[in-house]
Amino acid sequence: MFKELDPLLHSELRLAIMSILLSVEEADFVYLKEQTKATSGNLSVQIDKLNEAGYIKVERGFQGKRTRTVCKITPVGVKAFEDYVESLKGYLNL
Amino acid sequence: MEDKQLNEKESLELIAQMIRNTQKKMEKGSGIPFLIWGYVTIAVSLTVWYLLGKTGNPNWNFLWFAIPVIGFPVMLLTMRKKTALPKTYIDKVISYVWIVVGVSALIPSMAAAVIHDFPVLFLVVLLISIGTAITGFVIKFLPLVISGFMGMLLSILCLTLRASLDSILVFAALFLLVQVIPGHILNYKSRRSHV
Repeated sequence: MFKELDPLLHSELRLAIMSILLSVEEADFVYLKEQTKATSGNLSVQIDKLNEAGYIKVERGFQGKRTRTVCKITPVGVKAFEDYVESLKGYLNL
Repeated sequence: MEDKQLNEKESLELIAQMIRNTQKKMEKGSGIPFLIWGYVTIAVSLTVWYLLGKTGNPNWNFLWFAIPVIGFPVMLLTMRKKTALPKTYIDKVISYVWIVVGVSALIPSMAAAVIHDFPVLFLVVLLISIGTAITGFVIKFLPLVISGFMGMLLSILCLTLRASLDSILVFAALFLLVQVIPGHILNYKSRRSHV
């Protein structure tokens, strides 16, 4: 019996955001936009969804006169990601 | 990239690709903290050496505290101009190493203000060299490792010469070795990795 894939992670952009945040301590919005090549609007929406699920933590602050949004993965997010990869392995017979 | 569904194989490929992309290049200007602390320390050391030699007044030793007074604000100013590159675990480890080294270097400096003939220059060079070598190992950058170990070894000179004013000149030369030279090499390499 296959485990169901977490619908929150089984989407291209949200999975990309989570993969990046898993391998760094923190990343800001500009960097995530560069790496995912997503539009600002779409990226904001997906970041909010992950934030609402508790998978990531979003801090909005200032750097000089500019606003800066910094994202970090949470322990809940790490666990969800691990479960997602385990489920994927099941589907791919790894 | 959009909010589209992927198949299982595409998901795994995307995870691998994103993780690969975050293995960042060396950040431009990585050597700047080394250069700031190195040059400030050398300038203050030479000033103290000159004034002590000229006047013989030990109160000029209080000028050593100009190092943190100048160094910290300059560091804060340069750190504000950081790029949008993500902060990795390695960045965090290096920050912690230098917080520990910085605080532990301040303690002998304060002790020297009250204890006569305290080997402060030896201890400071030893601690800073340890920080340099650890940083070198963490970022896998051999020039930092080599200069760190050379600094540790040569710090003994500051101990053996501590009764003489020349120990200050040796101290300044060792800061050139463990901070300024590797700082410039680090900057050169990081500039090249961005070309």
